[in-house]
Amino acid sequence: MLVQKINHRLIKQALTIRTVEEKFLSLFSEGKLNGTVHTCVGQEFSALAFAGQLKKKDFVFSNHRCHGHYIAFTGDTRGLIAELMGKASGTCGGIGSSQHLCNNNFFSNGIQGGIVPVAAGYALGNKLKKNGAIGVVYIGDGTLGEGTLYETMNIISKWQIPLLIVCENNFYAQSTPQSVNLAGDIRARAAAFGITTFQGHTSNPEQLLHDAKVAIEYVREQTKPCFFLVETFRLNPHSKGDDDRDPEEINNYRARDFLHIFSKDFTAYYDNYLAAIHKEVDDMVNSILPEPEQAMDAYYQPPVSDHNNNWRPLIGINKRQVELLNNFFKQQIVDNGRMLFLGEDILSPYGGAFKVAKDLSVLAPDKVFSTPISESAITGISNGLALNGFKPFVEIMFGDFVTLAFDQIVNHASKFHHIFNKKVTCPVVIRTPMGGKRGYGPTHSQTLDKFLVGIDNIKTVAINTFFDPAIVYDSILQEEHPVIVIENKTDYGKKILHHQAANFVYEINDAPFPVVKIKPVVSVPSLTILAYGGMADIVNNILSDIFFETDLKPELIVPSLISELPVDIIIQSAATTKRLLVIEEGSAFAGIGAELIAQVTEQMDIKIRIKRISAYAVPIPSVKTLEHIVLPEKERIIQEIKAYF
Amino acid sequence: MAILQQIKVPLISINDTSLTVVDILFAHGALVKMGDILLVFETSKTTYDVLAEIDGYIEYRCNRETDYEVNELVANIYSDENEVPEKVVIKYEANKVFSKNHPSSDETMPIWHGQTFFSPAAIQLMELKGIGSAAFIGKDFVSLEDVMQLGKITKDQEVQASKQIASLPVDMEKVIVEKLSSNKKREIAYLSSVQSAGLTSTINTSVNTDGIFVHINQSLKHLKNSLLPVFIYESARLLQKYQPLNAYFTGDAIACYKEVNVGFAIDIDKGLKVLKIANTSTKGMKEIEQEIIELSNKYLDDSLHFNDLADIGFTVTDLSAEGVAFFTPLINMMNSAILGISSIDEKLHRCMISLSFDHRVTEGKLAARFLKELKERVESYQSKYYPLLNQEIGCFKCFKLLQEDLSDTGFVKCITPKGEEAYICQSCLKGF
Ligand SMILES: Cc1ncc(C[n+]2csc(CCOP(=O)(O)OP(=O)(O)O)c2C)c(N)n1
Repeated sequence: MLVQKINHRLIKQALTIRTVEEKFLSLFSEGKLNGTVHTCVGQEFSALAFAGQLKKKDFVFSNHRCHGHYIAFTGDTRGLIAELMGKASGTCGGIGSSQHLCNNNFFSNGIQGGIVPVAAGYALGNKLKKNGAIGVVYIGDGTLGEGTLYETMNIISKWQIPLLIVCENNFYAQSTPQSVNLAGDIRARAAAFGITTFQGHTSNPEQLLHDAKVAIEYVREQTKPCFFLVETFRLNPHSKGDDDRDPEEINNYRARDFLHIFSKDFTAYYDNYLAAIHKEVDDMVNSILPEPEQAMDAYYQPPVSDHNNNWRPLIGINKRQVELLNNFFKQQIVDNGRMLFLGEDILSPYGGAFKVAKDLSVLAPDKVFSTPISESAITGISNGLALNGFKPFVEIMFGDFVTLAFDQIVNHASKFHHIFNKKVTCPVVIRTPMGGKRGYGPTHSQTLDKFLVGIDNIKTVAINTFFDPAIVYDSILQEEHPVIVIENKTDYGKKILHHQAANFVYEINDAPFPVVKIKPVVSVPSLTILAYGGMADIVNNILSDIFFETDLKPELIVPSLISELPVDIIIQSAATTKRLLVIEEGSAFAGIGAELIAQVTEQMDIKIRIKRISAYAVPIPSVKTLEHIVLPEKERIIQEIKAYF
Repeated sequence: MAILQQIKVPLISINDTSLTVVDILFAHGALVKMGDILLVFETSKTTYDVLAEIDGYIEYRCNRETDYEVNELVANIYSDENEVPEKVVIKYEANKVFSKNHPSSDETMPIWHGQTFFSPAAIQLMELKGIGSAAFIGKDFVSLEDVMQLGKITKDQEVQASKQIASLPVDMEKVIVEKLSSNKKREIAYLSSVQSAGLTSTINTSVNTDGIFVHINQSLKHLKNSLLPVFIYESARLLQKYQPLNAYFTGDAIACYKEVNVGFAIDIDKGLKVLKIANTSTKGMKEIEQEIIELSNKYLDDSLHFNDLADIGFTVTDLSAEGVAFFTPLINMMNSAILGISSIDEKLHRCMISLSFDHRVTEGKLAARFLKELKERVESYQSKYYPLLNQEIGCFKCFKLLQEDLSDTGFVKCITPKGEEAYICQSCLKGF
């Protein structure tokens, strides 16, 4: 017999969630729904207790099992149904579907754990805005296996970020029972970070709703994080037909399910409500069915590549690159209200491993965040800050460590804009130094840019020593999408355009991410070279040697935007020289040279000689002599040009 | 008597392979005390003071606002004031590539007045074909292909040139034939270019060398008792006035060099070469001496760059070490004159100098005037003039130094409007 005192409005909401999800399953079996559906049947009161009790200004980040959270927070049943039915009127135009929803501060993503730091960043943004808004992030118990969760728990506790983590413990992760993959105690995990914890069960909605409210108030009033463990049970398969659990176990839980008991105890009410909801949902589905899908060209337009051909002379600056970078950030951190700076070891007086952040924390202590060693979490937090309207610059101490942030770059930053059907932008900026010749060895020297330029919808920029990096960073300030900036360790200490090879002209175009062109003053060049970042500086220093030793007159083209190469400028040059050489500091296979050459070959109708010079495909050795052999250097470059062209 | 402390560029942070000297706190040669800040480096992160570890006299081998590589020697402290060498001037190399109205795109070809670089392959072919660097005036880079392009145009000239070295019959019974080395062939081609026309003359005069080295040796460090530096120095100054002697005959015109680049002939086992002292008229005697030494070393190590040999407008050949009384120097290709220096006659305190010149470009009168003026200028180094010359006499109005004056009339002693004694040059006195 039911002894709970629950508002019937809530019961109707829970029934709506259940009805909608069950409708999804039947639509799916009718072939009217595409892809995947993870239902939360049996878990509805967790959605209502947290997402349902937040204020409008608050936010929710959710995971693959997000329909209930969505309806509880937004009330937008129609948008959800249309979304899963792949219609243009869906909440994300049918692009994101079941696991990727976005509407009024509601966001979900299908990567386990990845949304936790993003939610933390969003919450940090609210704290900085002092708008009194807080947020909830939902995870499943299986997600307790993800490391980024613990990176984030450490940070939200340390920085007192008002975020409520709700762990929905349904004792299974996909097909795996908890006994197989979880060690230790769940609440103790959060408690170990000094985070206050709560616990509840969906079979006792009255208590759960009450305690959830207490937790929400705690987070809001204390401006502190909180961890709420909700025990629950999913009555349906993980997704559609994938259930190997013991039917006995499921039946036991079904017997304890609140809506089930309610249907038994208050059958008249239940049937009444259900009929109305069914009708409402069926009507919606019927009205949505004939609706059009989103047109492809509304989703994607092929880029027009038209490079800027206005060239002007370059002028040297008697300042080191790192000084100019530091000056840029010092000015922006004070003047630019949106800018934030995050990174490891960036507090004064240390100012970051390469001193780009020198004095920033003195100038703007509230906007500079020296972080734990948590590349994934700090990149995710930056993503969340960016979604919340900030312009975060996150520094990854060494380029090699960018791999630890890869999920945040690939599955979050790069995708948010598109999967949420352009409702949001994520103007995060990730800066990191790459390159060898410092003897730092295998894990601190690699040039990994080829992994980055392959990420769609992220700009990857490599600054160089030919012009003030502030030009690039000013353009980045205007960007509304993610940008990764590759700096170079050996370039930091160099002055801008310090060496100008005799008899060459140095020009820059006025693209937002400029291309530099270095060519003989009068002669028609006979060898087109493409190099960027630190390698461009090395090549610039040997231009005369290349001429004297190879008898070829080089023209060096230095792009700064390397995820979108200035192919037309290169073709223009290569059409005259009939020789194209790409010199890169990373290894050649599937690298930037490979990409450039593919594009040039596709577009050029004459045959030219083409070559790549790159690092050998081994980790960069520490020992100097070997390091200088592995990375392209003057002798090897000249020798290979001589041998090939 | 020793170097007490060597100051090298320190490795302060792994990120900086070079540091900038931002401050130099003492004068070169000054006495410094232990603990004094000698100079300040700037890294990408911070500044770094270099302190004296001992008392002594400081030699700076660096300049402000200049970058030095880690481990480069930038200063020494000596125990004795007299040990401190003179300051080495390290020039900051900055290439001015742009003129103000630099063309911004490929359409207009800029006019290039700068130097021309030749690739070794280009040089080889040029030498083979006897093509001079003047053929490429206005070019920035000359590659093999460029020379081949030009070769096509001058095919006829080439045929003619080969005819000039017509071969004579040889009787193997009577002579031993040794094939000419390519060096020698080149030399012949080089010299026959002007001489073969048969329109050259040589004029001679003697220079009184009595006591001349007292002064000259003051300015020289290594080439003591040599007249070569002073002749190069003074010729260069005069050549600014005697344009036709810094020129050459093109076949239907006379080409005058815009710059004064005096070359000196050298032949020590590696073939006759003329090495260039670029922009000679702007250089002091010490610099000229330094360059003679550097170029000779490069000649000996075979590390000469083509630019060390190109664009020479006038040559000095010094046979004074060979005991010759006088000789007739041969004019080099693309020159109109050459100065020969014979040995000093120690008894008569004199030395013969000879000037060969190309009648197609100039005439005897001008050549004679040049030679006379040169003689007088060099003789003015004699010790009797020395005290005067050493004073750095300058015009109080235009600050021109007596050495720089080309009027050949000297300065006038005068009283300035302030009532002070001073000198005034002819131009300022008479008006231009
Ligand atoms: C990073 C990542 N790994 C694996 C998956 C595949 N996957 C989707 S849901 C799921 C189980 C998640 O279990 P849990 O966190 O307990 O949530 P539940 O499904 O029980 O709600 C898995 C393994 C994923 N989406 N993301």
